[in-house]
Amino acid sequence: MNLADLARVRDKDLAGEASAPETRALMHAIMSEEREPLTVTRPGRKVRRGLVLGLAAMATAAAVAVGTGLVGGPVTSYANAAVSIKKTGEYFSVNITDPTADHHRFEEAFRAVGLRVTVKVVPVAPSDVGKLIGPIVPGGFKWHGSIGTQRITPCSSAFCAKVWMPADFPGRVVFGVGRPAKPGEPYVDEGPVDPEGDEALSGYTSHGKTVADVRAELSRRGLKLGYRLLWKYEDDGDGGISWFDEAVPESRIKDDWIVASTRFHSSDTVTLYVTPGKDAGPAPSPHPEPQWYDMPD
Amino acid sequence: MGSDPRSRFVEIYESAYEPILGYVLRRCPHPEDAADVVAETFTVAWRRIEEVPEGDEARLWLYGVARRVLANHRRGERRHEQRTTALRERLAASPALARPPEDEMSQMGRVFRDLPDDDRELLCLVAWEKLDHGQIARMLGISRNAVRIRLYRARKRFARGLAKAGIDHPRAVALEGSSL
Repeated sequence: MNLADLARVRDKDLAGEASAPETRALMHAIMSEEREPLTVTRPGRKVRRGLVLGLAAMATAAAVAVGTGLVGGPVTSYANAAVSIKKTGEYFSVNITDPTADHHRFEEAFRAVGLRVTVKVVPVAPSDVGKLIGPIVPGGFKWHGSIGTQRITPCSSAFCAKVWMPADFPGRVVFGVGRPAKPGEPYVDEGPVDPEGDEALSGYTSHGKTVADVRAELSRRGLKLGYRLLWKYEDDGDGGISWFDEAVPESRIKDDWIVASTRFHSSDTVTLYVTPGKDAGPAPSPHPEPQWYDMPD
Repeated sequence: MGSDPRSRFVEIYESAYEPILGYVLRRCPHPEDAADVVAETFTVAWRRIEEVPEGDEARLWLYGVARRVLANHRRGERRHEQRTTALRERLAASPALARPPEDEMSQMGRVFRDLPDDDRELLCLVAWEKLDHGQIARMLGISRNAVRIRLYRARKRFARGLAKAGIDHPRAVALEGSSL
């Protein structure tokens, strides 16, 4: 007797299956889906309040380009009413002056200094207005050099940062510029929540409290609620742990389940990230939701 | 420079599809359900293509993903997606898969089925996927020594189960060239 005989099928019985039309069709169906983007760097979550937005009025409507070496080639500095970018050694100094400007004004400036990037002007919380978000490289960054941003303070504009990336990187690179969200308009996702306790409410710790307790506090403050279940996975491959949060209706949530984190979803709504209780049912397979940087340019 | 995600995924899909389909088919009660598990497994690879290791390590990584997808599947997640309809029909009609379930095949099959899940999976990885200790260790994210110890215990439990079931010569059961 051989244990191998218990197998319903052996791999050699499946020779040729990879090239079957049904198999190829599945491959193309999978590849037609959006991929989970790799976030290369994210600036710190806390952004200084009290931004100086008035400087936009000082900028002229016309763009100013300096240091053109070749006809049609990149310049070493460029400024318009929205942003100024200056090449300094190995990085670019980016000063955002008008975070409410049209995204074309930002892209125009990046491209003038030789960086082919997509810029999206996205709704954010008041504390994040003006912030340069990203760079996000949806296809992954596999190239020479490195890519990233670093915030600079103090800053006399709405936001100041160093940006570095290889000018010849051929992949799609997306930056966000935070604009003030309208009342009730959802903020763009800041990235994965901290399962150990992002706290939305000043002077109140939600981490470790029951849903009923946190709901009562939010109600007292006149805020609306949304819910996401925070599923934990132990990765078989490397022994690591990963999390996946799933938007669910209130009916899926029990009052005695424990809140892991809270985050403002919009000006009037807070999302509770809830640890699923024992009776929560099976964990779903992680499936990323489309993000702001996945939207068509 | 690395290859772009699309061509890398095609390469991984083409080289690993058959072993992953085999892995799933050997563990799914119904062959057609394997279509959904395989689809989910490769969808994870597509979304996380940067994390998929190079060479044959990709196959081990995918076994690990398939194992988790199968666990969800067994816990009751049944997801018959439109994109797998054609593949489900192909698998349901495959003569190569028309064998009876293992527990009807033999007394040995029944003893094997009654082993703890972890024991059965380890023995399967050796007997069916032909993985060595190092490969199993990388797939499960545990040390080679832990694999060796767990496999030793699994073999012992299997041998005891066979003896208890009245199979007088458990040593006659072969596991990759060696007896239990």
